[in-house]
Amino acid sequence: MKARILDRADVLKIVDLLRQQGYEVVAPFYGRGRDTFFDTVTDQNRDRIQIHLPNPYYPPKRFVFPHIERLMKFERSDGQIHIEPVYEQPKRAIFGIRSCDLAGIYHLDRFYLGREFRDVYYENHRKNLFLVNVVCSDVDRDINDECFCVCTDTGPAARDHFDLQLMDLGSEFMAVAGTPAGEALFADPIFRKGEAAHIEKRHAILDELRKRFKTTTSWFSATVRYVTQGDILEKTWEEIGNRCLECGGCTYVCPACTCFTVSDRPIGPNEFERVRVWDACALSGFTRMAGGHNPRKAVHDRRNRRFFRKLAHFFIQRELAMACVGCGRCAAVCHGDIGMPSVVEMIRRATGEVDKHERASH
Amino acid sequence: MSAPATENVYLPKTAVLERVVSEIAEVKTFYWHFEDSAEQEAFRQFRPGQFAQVSLFGVGEFPTSLPPSPTEGETFFTVRQVGSCTSALHRLQPGDKFAVRGPYGNGFPMEDYYGKNLVFVAGGIGLIPLRSCIVYALKNRNKYKSIQIFHGAKTPKELMYVPNLHEWEQTPGVECYLTVDRATDGWNGNVGVVGSLFKKPGVQVPVENTTAFVCGPPVMFRFVIKDLLEMGFSEKNIVSTLERYMKCGVGKCGHCCIGVAYVCVDGPVFTYEQIKKLGEDI
Ligand code: SF4
Ligand code: SF4
Ligand code: FES
Repeated sequence: MKARILDRADVLKIVDLLRQQGYEVVAPFYGRGRDTFFDTVTDQNRDRIQIHLPNPYYPPKRFVFPHIERLMKFERSDGQIHIEPVYEQPKRAIFGIRSCDLAGIYHLDRFYLGREFRDVYYENHRKNLFLVNVVCSDVDRDINDECFCVCTDTGPAARDHFDLQLMDLGSEFMAVAGTPAGEALFADPIFRKGEAAHIEKRHAILDELRKRFKTTTSWFSATVRYVTQGDILEKTWEEIGNRCLECGGCTYVCPACTCFTVSDRPIGPNEFERVRVWDACALSGFTRMAGGHNPRKAVHDRRNRRFFRKLAHFFIQRELAMACVGCGRCAAVCHGDIGMPSVVEMIRRATGEVDKHERASH
Repeated sequence: MSAPATENVYLPKTAVLERVVSEIAEVKTFYWHFEDSAEQEAFRQFRPGQFAQVSLFGVGEFPTSLPPSPTEGETFFTVRQVGSCTSALHRLQPGDKFAVRGPYGNGFPMEDYYGKNLVFVAGGIGLIPLRSCIVYALKNRNKYKSIQIFHGAKTPKELMYVPNLHEWEQTPGVECYLTVDRATDGWNGNVGVVGSLFKKPGVQVPVENTTAFVCGPPVMFRFVIKDLLEMGFSEKNIVSTLERYMKCGVGKCGHCCIGVAYVCVDGPVFTYEQIKKLGEDI
């Protein structure tokens, strides 16, 4: 991978370069208070783009997998039905995507474009997407109490899956190209060759950063093993389930959740459109079948489901990517404090009992 | 060189309803074909045990099994009226249009059972997915050893595919046994659960070199499995199809996911050995 150096004052020129190339650039901004969000860059808001800020709760996942997405239109006339797919193929760049969310997109790639069927809608969003990753290096602004990318091995500096990565070195930034498209940007005079000292500085900053994470659920990999082997007591799942209010918030903020539901809605007298909408396995209707039978009735079955799907080794192996990228959003939004780090912790605390259980059954 | 365009797996194709046949209360069979003959030809290559997604204009989409055998040349669904989509299908008249995509799922590996005895056990509308395998096996009669069909319903009026049952009862080399929970309408056949047929005098269920197909409501399923295991069947020689709430049919929406399997792509056909390992209620 090629790296270059640029002046701090020139960083947003990367946004300009991309816009000149015809990209719709989305970047992070401050709203009111803690609120932050990704929005389309215009001439008016360009200077308000933030390099360091708390990662928005609403993940940039929506640029490849929109919250609500039109799939097709049905039109009825003279007894005929016309079905027309609705495609959107934007040329878009995400500037300032965090390493965790980048790993999220990689997981979505594996999921929607791998296996038996490819998802053409996802592919269309993904095809012309340019990803500018910003390394979370500002301990106060970038790294929240809930962040645990150090445990999922997805951050704070992504190793892969970006077109361009930017890292703040102080008065200068280091730019690393991850793809030929990213490298092509280096033709611009804002970029210059770096020196060994720059690389040393990068390492020094990263070494220090890794120590600054508050949530270090070092038990993550052990949890994967326990979940995979089905070693977690029903009681522990119940305890977790009892704290779930079934709001679905955890899934809506998750950059790696993939589930959706499909529904048809009228758009004219003889016209309908079929849309897909994010869905959540926390909600009780998720598995209910026509006629009322619901195999997953109890709320702890559904909680269990979320963590099983994210942590069981079988799925990690299948997608070659884990469905949790350590962003900590679910921990930040959950009313019952059963975000991923807490669940890992609850499982850790319960293992004493698991061991007792095992000893008793042997 | 440009990459081949990705097929839109969510896009259904227009189908025309040909005729409707009433089976039992609230259950009808819908004969249909695709408007486009090339679509029809491609679809007809389905395997027994696969399913399709049916779209009703302005209502939505639902999954349904394919009761015909690919050897029959006709395409039809047998559907119970339970929700808004199935009700909308029940309201259609011959000539009306709807839309279909598929076939999906693994289906039964009928070739793997060559040279084996086949035992079909169907409770109520559980005969819908099994009808496909039965007709397929009869069409390829010399590929299989003995064939037994056990079908049970609550009352004689609820026996499925009656003309087929009569035909199978008459077919040499096929044993077809029927039973009902309650004898009404002058029924003089067996009364009792499906499993009671296994012990009837004159019935000899082969256990060695046999595959048992079991489909039906959850309670019936549990009891039949218990009977078969007691008779000496191994878990891997018992096969079934699972039903789940499905939105996409192609392994993406997550609704059908149970334990480690996505029923729509990894199933819906599973051996009992696999079902047990899924690690969730079915
Ligand atoms: S499970 Fe929670 S921490 Fe993991 S990626 Fe999803 S929202 Fe982030
Ligand atoms: S989890 Fe890591 S990469 Fe994500 S916002 Fe927090 S520090 Fe940045
Ligand atoms: S029905 Fe959508 S994943 Fe199986």
